[in-house]
Amino acid sequence: MSKDFSVHVEHVTRVEGHGNIILDVKNGKIEKLEWRVVEAPRFFEAMLRGQQYNELRSITSRICGICSIGHSLASLKATEDALEVKISEQTAMLRRLAIHAENMQSHILHIGYLVAPDLFGVGSVFPLIGTHTDTVLKIVKLHRLANEMSDLICGRTIHPIRLVIGGFSLVPTEKQLVKLKSQLEEARTLTTDIATIIHSVADSLPDFTRETEYIALSSDDEYALYDGVINSTDTGKHPAYRNYQAVMKEFLVPQSSTAKYAKHARESYMVGALARFNLNSDHLHPAAKEVANMFGLKPINYNPFMNTIAQLVEFSHSIEDSLYWIDLLLERGVREEKPVKVKVKAGRGVGIAEVPRGILVHDYTLNSKGYCTKANCIIPTNQNHANIQLDMEKLVPEILERPEKEIELTLEMLVRAYDPCISCSTHYLDVTFV
Amino acid sequence: MKKIGIIGIGNLLRKDDGVGIVLLERLQKQKKKFPKNIEFIDGGTGGMNLLHLLAQFDTVLLIDAVDFKGRPGDARVFSLKDIQSQKKSVMMSTHDPDFLNLLRLSQELKEIPEILVIFGVQPRDVSHGMGLSKEIETVLDDLYLKLQKEIQDFVK
Repeated sequence: MSKDFSVHVEHVTRVEGHGNIILDVKNGKIEKLEWRVVEAPRFFEAMLRGQQYNELRSITSRICGICSIGHSLASLKATEDALEVKISEQTAMLRRLAIHAENMQSHILHIGYLVAPDLFGVGSVFPLIGTHTDTVLKIVKLHRLANEMSDLICGRTIHPIRLVIGGFSLVPTEKQLVKLKSQLEEARTLTTDIATIIHSVADSLPDFTRETEYIALSSDDEYALYDGVINSTDTGKHPAYRNYQAVMKEFLVPQSSTAKYAKHARESYMVGALARFNLNSDHLHPAAKEVANMFGLKPINYNPFMNTIAQLVEFSHSIEDSLYWIDLLLERGVREEKPVKVKVKAGRGVGIAEVPRGILVHDYTLNSKGYCTKANCIIPTNQNHANIQLDMEKLVPEILERPEKEIELTLEMLVRAYDPCISCSTHYLDVTFV
Repeated sequence: MKKIGIIGIGNLLRKDDGVGIVLLERLQKQKKKFPKNIEFIDGGTGGMNLLHLLAQFDTVLLIDAVDFKGRPGDARVFSLKDIQSQKKSVMMSTHDPDFLNLLRLSQELKEIPEILVIFGVQPRDVSHGMGLSKEIETVLDDLYLKLQKEIQDFVK
């Protein structure tokens, strides 16, 4: 069947930031198909130049209202790497709790508020209040728990204040950790309930696959979030973390002038929960593996729509792994440690962490007085833009005979599956006039 | 003692939309004049986190820019009942069009404050930019006095 139609989605809804989908079809042939990032540039890397080493974390936290803990941790790791600061065991444990809190916060928000409406066939979470009251209430409870956990560990729900260079400005008390432990234990049942509910509507997730490369941190000891080595499903491990640009090769495309795209071994790669699952599922807690089994999710899964399910798996893992670290902290006793003292010197530092949407890099160069002279941040959503584009190019021909509205919805669902944080991904552009 | 929350909502980067935050900041500077059970909170642009915030209080006064088709700078005080009966034609918050639904969700969760009042200010300009429009700026002192009186009635 030959037909003419256009799908122009200006500002895809239920994602953070602004991105457009452009599809023009003439005589049944695709004339134009583009994923466009239309957000204004943010200039964060330029803002960091000239700032002192101890300001960098609080500035970069503001890159994102969702991943502020992740940005803070990557920033601290970069600064500590540059200044050769070694953190204590307790700090490493508490930072793991912080990253789990953010993972839970962000994932449940995406699953419950942004994707669930697609699966239930409604436009937003609000119509579900009347029809699926119990489900919405459970989602809200889990979201609240994650918020409270962030608040407890980081001093705020978003934009943490207790995460500082060399440690924590204030640590939670044992009593507070005991309370958090019981809240997390209670959340296990709620998580299973949500998994069961999502499973009951999972048929609405499009059955689509496209082979691609997946990149995430990996560790021999754990399901890597706070720390690990850059790993790829195509090329394996890349331990030289300061040479991350050999893996994350940024480039520019005309249709999205403010966002840098990235590629490595192929034309594109994917980061995020599905990438982590594909590379590290062996290290998941058994409870999380059970969630994966419920959905038949096995590595390597090439369906980007399953990213949401991988987030659900990670939510369960974050609860269990948090309980593990809390038990360990309680066993050894929480100490009131002062942050490690810093000796200012010139140097370059790179901090890499897994944040909800994927692998995040902060790279700073400091002068001898501790002022930042150069900064580079590679944001997860940046790294996914090229993959979204190529997914669309494979997906559209497969669904071209379907009604236009369905094509439009499927494309929107694809973008949402990546849980893009478009505002974070926009950078300033260096131009040279000839 | 009842927990009372005075929550300013708005975006300072969208001119008059930030009036709720501007008024809240004034209140915060004067907070010693108010009873101790009142907490003053910058609710930012609200969103789902407002839901969790509301759950912490028995009584809440929200300060927000509200398009109720009045003259710029006019203030109106709504109760939850008023908003629900008049729906979105009255309650058009620029930063959170689903605000009413959020309140509905809060009700479903059975954690909506016993008393919830909105002090709404009619904005003139909510385009991108810092600072309030002249129309709002000139009546800001009056708005603050009105708001103070409202809070006094509120805590009686």
